[in-house]
Amino acid sequence: MSRNTRYWLFQLGGWGLFALINIFFAFSFDKLNKVDDRIFFFARLGIFVLMGIVITHVMRYVIIGLNFLQRRLERQLLYFILTTLVFAFLVSFLNIELLIRLSDKSILNNVDLLSDNEKKVLRNVGNSYSMNKLLVVLSGAFYFFIYFFIWNLIYFIYHFITKSQKQQLDTLKLEALVKELELKTIKAHINPHFIFNSLNGIRALIDEDPNRARNAITELSNILRSSMQTDKLESVSLEKELNIVKDYLALENMRFEDRLHVEYEIDEDTLDQKVPPMMLQTLVENAIKHGISKQISGGKIRIVSDFKDSYHELAVQNTGKLVNGTAKGEGFGLPSTLNRLSLLYGERARFSIKQVTSEIVEARVLLPLQMSI
Amino acid sequence: MRAIIIDDERLARAELKKLLQDYPEVEVVDEAANADEGINKIDTLQPDLVFLDIQMPGKTGFDMLAELERAPHVIFTTAYDEYALKAFDVNALDYLLKPIEPKRLADAMQKLHIAETKETHPIPENFNQSILTEVDQVFVKDGERCWFVKLSDIRLFESVGNYAKVFFGANKPLILKSLNALEERLDPKTFFRANRKHIVNLRMIEKIEPYFNGGLLLELKGGEKIEVSRRQTVKFKEMMSL
Repeated sequence: MSRNTRYWLFQLGGWGLFALINIFFAFSFDKLNKVDDRIFFFARLGIFVLMGIVITHVMRYVIIGLNFLQRRLERQLLYFILTTLVFAFLVSFLNIELLIRLSDKSILNNVDLLSDNEKKVLRNVGNSYSMNKLLVVLSGAFYFFIYFFIWNLIYFIYHFITKSQKQQLDTLKLEALVKELELKTIKAHINPHFIFNSLNGIRALIDEDPNRARNAITELSNILRSSMQTDKLESVSLEKELNIVKDYLALENMRFEDRLHVEYEIDEDTLDQKVPPMMLQTLVENAIKHGISKQISGGKIRIVSDFKDSYHELAVQNTGKLVNGTAKGEGFGLPSTLNRLSLLYGERARFSIKQVTSEIVEARVLLPLQMSI
Repeated sequence: MRAIIIDDERLARAELKKLLQDYPEVEVVDEAANADEGINKIDTLQPDLVFLDIQMPGKTGFDMLAELERAPHVIFTTAYDEYALKAFDVNALDYLLKPIEPKRLADAMQKLHIAETKETHPIPENFNQSILTEVDQVFVKDGERCWFVKLSDIRLFESVGNYAKVFFGANKPLILKSLNALEERLDPKTFFRANRKHIVNLRMIEKIEPYFNGGLLLELKGGEKIEVSRRQTVKFKEMMSL
């Protein structure tokens, strides 16, 4: 349904309801017994409803033209009340003028629906004609004010609700977009320092150990390829992730030589578990960057994958010391890991990093289990 | 020319040595795998040139340089390091990105020769304990920023607790050295202890005015005004009248 059709539906529905209520009350209070009363009542109601629709439609143009809805809330309310007042007086005046010009003066005497004042004004007689007219206009304006006020209230509330709904929708869309972008940048991240140092090492190996150099190129290509491909994947099997980690550590071994020792402790059944791509890789990279590469005599890295209670446990241990006992906010690896876990699993995943012995730091992730059939 | 390569990766050192085979004038006399080893070897071997990696275990290449009394000619080698590159606008001899492009190495060697011919001062016998003269350069590191500074460009040292503030150009970084230790190492022909808190470069004095109690007020080229204590004024006048 378009905006305009909805508007006209509200407009006609509202005024129609108004007319029906009026007719209902007029009947129930026996005000339509005489023919003249009936003619006058329907004529007046018709004029009123018609004018109501036309005038409120004009009012809508004013509201849209002056951009009421874009203003601050207090301003909006003030403008709505002022417009309602102005229009109420205008319409009340027009209403009387129309009645004076259109009504058949001969039937006025028989009509009970009009007050004496109104009759005098309509007949254009009486001592204080202008005074009476003013009173009639004022009392008319009072009623119109109430009706227009209700109309405006509905208009205002309707727009208020649709606007806030739209805002909520926009926020949701934005959040989804941010989430997608974040995942992309997290996944695309490979330490350039590592890439160039590896290339440099490979170049040295070409003379020294051509076979090792060839393997190293394959390992590096695997890492680069997977870091590009994972952009499209939300999760990957541990087996695949582990292959990348192994390639990565083989390259780091080429660089660090006997300064780096690697141990794996993998429960084979966990190999099918789904993990966020490049997450274990990031943790291992971190262990190298903040652990091994800071130790002059190097150290050990141990990678553990196991089932623990109803979780899949992944742990990376490395020789080294946590700075100040914590590792918050520093660098890219840890915040991005935390972010990814909460984006992907919400509350269902855990992450911790701590000094487990005086020499060993452990980063540990608990992922919810995925049941395979 | 005697050179030392300091890098924590054996392969990186091997690769650089191989590239340097094309330059017979450069003799790689030793290698070091970390900063502490590097300091020792620079002290004992007194090389003319140091190829220095920045990211190393323990201390970075910058930390190592800041610990040296006198900065040798340095060519930095780094894989990828925005932080390092930022520091290089300052007059480092050169830097090379690993894997090193042979043409870039050729450029760096060219620059080195130009620098060598410009300043042919004899290397003093006791390299690290000798007096620092004007032509010597020091490496100054203050937080994120680093400078190679020629002593002749330094106007003033100001004591700030255990630190000394070094004034040169528009910069005044802090170094972890006491004014007394500095005074012992600086050439007294150029650097003069004006008072308890200041050492000034005599060639950087713009104006001399008499001051209270028979002291003097020196205005330096950077606009700093330094008071010369009464006792030092006598010494100052003696030096100037010679």
